[in-house]
Amino acid sequence: MTTGIALTFRLNGEDRFIDVSADMRLIDILRDRLGLSAAKKACGIGRCGACSVLVDGRAVNACLLMAWQIEGADILTPEGLDAVPEAAIIRRALAEENAFQCGYCAPGFTIVLTALLRECPDAGEREIRAALEGNICRCTGYHSIIRGSLAATQAIARPDAAKSPDD
Amino acid sequence: MTPSVVQVLRPASLKDALACAATGDARLVAGGTALQLEWAKGLPQPRRLVDLGRIAGLKGIAIAGGELRIGALTTLGDLERNQLVQDKLPLLDAAVRTTAGPAVRNLATIGGNIAGRAGCLLPVLLALDARIESSTAAGQRIMPLAEWLQERHGDTEIVEAVIVHIPETPVGWTHRKVGLRAAFTPSVISAVGLTEIADGCVVAARLAVGGGPVAPARLRGAEALLAGLRLHEIDWRVIRAAIESETAAPDDAFRSARYRRKVAANALVHGLGGGPDGQSSRRLAPAARLPSPPPGEIRLDRSLAGERWHMRPDGPAKVEGRLQYLTDHRRLDMLVGRILRAGIPHARILAIDTSAAEALPGVAAIVTHRDIAGSNAFGILVQDQPALCFDKVRYVGDAVAAVAAVDAETTERALGLIKVSYRPLPVVSDAEAALSVGTEPIHATGNLLRSFDFERGDIDDGFARAAHVVEAVYETPRQMHGFMETEGGYAFVDDDGVLNVCAGGQYGLRDRLQLSRILGLPEDRIRVVTSPTGGAFGGKDELTVQPALALLALKTGRPVRLQLDRAESVLAGTKRNAMKIRMRTACDSNGVLLAQQVEVISDAGAYASLGPGVLETALEHACGPYAVPHVRTSGRLAYTNNGVCGAFRGFGANQMAFAVECQMDRLAAQCGLDVFEIRRRNMRKPGMRGYLGQTVAPSERLMEMLQAAAADPIWQKPRGISKDGTEIVGVGMAMNYQGNGLGTLPPDPGGGALRLAPDGAIEALYGLDEMGQGLLTSIQAAVAAALGCSRDDVRPVTGDTGRTPESGSTTASRSTYVVWKVAEAAAPALARDILAAAGERLGRNPAALAIAPGGIVERGSNSGVPLLSFATLAEGLDPERLPFAVTSFEFPKTDYLRGNARMIFAFGATLARVAVSRITGQVRVLDLHQHTAAGPILDLAAYLGQMEGGGMQGVGFTLTEDTVMQNGRYVTANLDTYMLPSIADAPETMTTFALEDLDPGDPFGPRGAGELGIGAVTPAIANAVADAIGWWPPRAPFDPEELLDALEAP
Repeated sequence: MTTGIALTFRLNGEDRFIDVSADMRLIDILRDRLGLSAAKKACGIGRCGACSVLVDGRAVNACLLMAWQIEGADILTPEGLDAVPEAAIIRRALAEENAFQCGYCAPGFTIVLTALLRECPDAGEREIRAALEGNICRCTGYHSIIRGSLAATQAIARPDAAKSPDD
Repeated sequence: MTPSVVQVLRPASLKDALACAATGDARLVAGGTALQLEWAKGLPQPRRLVDLGRIAGLKGIAIAGGELRIGALTTLGDLERNQLVQDKLPLLDAAVRTTAGPAVRNLATIGGNIAGRAGCLLPVLLALDARIESSTAAGQRIMPLAEWLQERHGDTEIVEAVIVHIPETPVGWTHRKVGLRAAFTPSVISAVGLTEIADGCVVAARLAVGGGPVAPARLRGAEALLAGLRLHEIDWRVIRAAIESETAAPDDAFRSARYRRKVAANALVHGLGGGPDGQSSRRLAPAARLPSPPPGEIRLDRSLAGERWHMRPDGPAKVEGRLQYLTDHRRLDMLVGRILRAGIPHARILAIDTSAAEALPGVAAIVTHRDIAGSNAFGILVQDQPALCFDKVRYVGDAVAAVAAVDAETTERALGLIKVSYRPLPVVSDAEAALSVGTEPIHATGNLLRSFDFERGDIDDGFARAAHVVEAVYETPRQMHGFMETEGGYAFVDDDGVLNVCAGGQYGLRDRLQLSRILGLPEDRIRVVTSPTGGAFGGKDELTVQPALALLALKTGRPVRLQLDRAESVLAGTKRNAMKIRMRTACDSNGVLLAQQVEVISDAGAYASLGPGVLETALEHACGPYAVPHVRTSGRLAYTNNGVCGAFRGFGANQMAFAVECQMDRLAAQCGLDVFEIRRRNMRKPGMRGYLGQTVAPSERLMEMLQAAAADPIWQKPRGISKDGTEIVGVGMAMNYQGNGLGTLPPDPGGGALRLAPDGAIEALYGLDEMGQGLLTSIQAAVAAALGCSRDDVRPVTGDTGRTPESGSTTASRSTYVVWKVAEAAAPALARDILAAAGERLGRNPAALAIAPGGIVERGSNSGVPLLSFATLAEGLDPERLPFAVTSFEFPKTDYLRGNARMIFAFGATLARVAVSRITGQVRVLDLHQHTAAGPILDLAAYLGQMEGGGMQGVGFTLTEDTVMQNGRYVTANLDTYMLPSIADAPETMTTFALEDLDPGDPFGPRGAGELGIGAVTPAIANAVADAIGWWPPRAPFDPEELLDALEAP
């Protein structure tokens, strides 16, 4: 019953054209229409960060954006981080630290960290904590995520040294 | 529920935008970040949204004539990244950073924050004497914000910009947003102060409050009092009183008006140079010398772990978002299901009419109680909960009907078309009141669901001989599990006619049994898949969405998916049983415990679930790890209309530890003993019978944990008043003592199987669930150690009744033992078969062969290269006759059968260093140190994760978490007000230690670690608060208003 709109935007480096209800939320478009399930919907009101995506390079809550607001936007979902070199380093550092447990929040944290460390590669614990204030993790004590993030900053600063011998 | 019919208008000019807005039922939208929350709260969705984004001139920050003009569409993110703002208006910069969360700030605009008239930036802008530039149909205008806020807003108006004067001379400023947690929090109150000082004299002061429910306002009376005063002449008590009386603030379900006024006054007085009022704290000297820690205790840390640190096998897929949770499955032919909730706490159902919903195009099926072929009742202990209600609803989240339709939108519309007529019944919202005579019965059996009484010795004699008695009442919250993946999954009937139900859970075989009863289907016609699950913590132990999913899939014959949204999860899901614990404890003049009397009243909510087990477990821990000769305990569990409560990590033990461990510190203070000595004098001795008289397992490590606590370097950190005078720091400790397994009375089966798979993997089959705790990595560790292969050779298969054997539930700190025991018991048989097959293949005596990483080697050989890989061995074998070993057993049980008792315990001591704010009464945990003794660690990283994660859930339980209910309805409806701890609430340091050794001959292996992390956090923090301010908070989450009052008490 909603008024449908034809939407054009960039998604993970590709131009997409879809018809959706104007008020359909980006997180529902991703998960239910486009089969992209890495971003999760855990509160639906912008209070947990599980649905984080990058819009024009900035982390935002995909549950707060309605279809009409993403016209012309350049969107990267957690799937789209595959093409981002810093993200590969961040993911590896987080996985090696066993930063997450159930993992449901992990793609959202990774999105926010990618945005932070692209802009501020030498971020310290203070900056990391500030950037992650909007991401809720229920399994960990957050310290594993902080440790993994700090390891990522070191790996970004010294990409060669961070490689494992098996690379 | 009305389906949305929304039209988006995108005017290019202010004039057009005002015209659009004037068409009625329209809403101006900038960032739009408030809309989802407003709609979730039930505010009507407008038919038209007017996008302001295309109007020129509304964005950007410009400096001119000593003023900053901030365009209304400037996002808060742009503001906080703006150098001009950082340099010229640090006060505004500070306020922006405490508004919402970082990602929300990237969308939200300053115009939206102002136009909503309740934004967190308003007090700052008021104090800065900001002016608002806006347009109405009558034209453009610029007026002071203070006046603008006081106007009646009849006409549609568009805020274009806010103009802020940049102070020429340096000003002193203070800003404090007081919330419900450390960051990304609703505002309790925000207080802002600006002073211009010249020659030691206040030239001007501008004070403002606002935020959340507090109307933004300048405090002109207090400002006038300050103006013209010499700094050293200011009587801050007068100023404080003026601010308190002038601040207008309301009460709400979270904080009182009085509290808001007090903290605003404290914050402003302190921020302007007045310093905190009230008691001057005693200074506490850090410990000079510490005893030695117990030999063998290690700190768990990746940098120290060396080869014991392993990356969990599911880690990369989770971080990259590739892991498919059961709620991630989508198929083109999949229907979308939803459940109709009662929405009313207590009522008789008069009629359910689904005809209009059924007639809606796109609806595939609607199910009600009439579709239930079996028994319409479930529950792990007592089958008292209907799958779909038929006669009554007993809480707001009760399931009444369910719909499956082609898409989410149709499903929602159909839900709105189901008509249920109710006759409301009196709401029972208090556990004690539920048990009074004459209270409306919730179930036909009455409101007393269960009571437990236990007595040992002569309690009256014990108290009669006491030198010291302490008595207190401790209250614990209705904590929410808050797993990030809400309850959900999918179901379908497969080609063999088997119903597949795939939904997050903690015990697939029991879910299958419960579904079988409800559906009237034999268990072998049902397959339940429960892994992977995105967090559970006990909250997915009971059935959640499975009955509705199953009924819909059966009725439609099509795959159906269904996931609760968060608000529905709050409404329907189980919570931790709220408890009130009255404890009276006596000791003699030497601090030796004589008597312990405990009365517990526990709120079950509307249905039993595991509430009786939780209460019984709480009572089993009623003396903690201490030997007490005279004991009397009683517990009553009452039905109420307050949601449903049940299993949650700690399972009653952590609630009871809060009381027991605070009592110990209180008695120590009365006896003049230190907190270690009183515990030393009363600690149970290894080999003694358990609290209920039962035999307990060896390898008790309580004295070692006490020694570790005494030796902890936390005692050498600063305590007492903080450098800036605003906080008082204290250290506290508490013992941790948690039973493992379900206990003597319920069946507690364990088991599993190992096999060589056709592709050469060593498959480890367990009917346990990976919920995040690290089951998979633990299985790899245990099987690799038992078999001699590498972790990478092991492929865990879990949580699927179609593929995995009976292992029992993934609860009660029991699965670590099951994982280890299966590996130990099945590996020798599997190894024998593998080596026999390898011997045959290689033409060698199997006795000359051994299993090694990757395959089979010559026994005693140092060569790293296998003679035969597992894959090559498997390839050459008949797939039907691959090596396979299965085992089953009962979880170790003790000999006490008059009640439920545990045999195996894990041990620990938790220490917390906290800072109590003299401004707000809030508590920050600075350091959390956990000492644990749970036997040999299977996987170090997983164990560390359990301790840190459990610790953080304990911090939440203690300081911020409670699902607040009023008259049977949730006030905390979602994560905007239910305060899961954020990263800003995480302690500055968390340190975890482990003592792994077992007594010689101990047959029980590694103990469960899942609940140990939360066990003693609350009393450690409470005792730390008492160390700081001499007062024990009796209620969790701690009420900062009570703490402030305690601070001010003479």
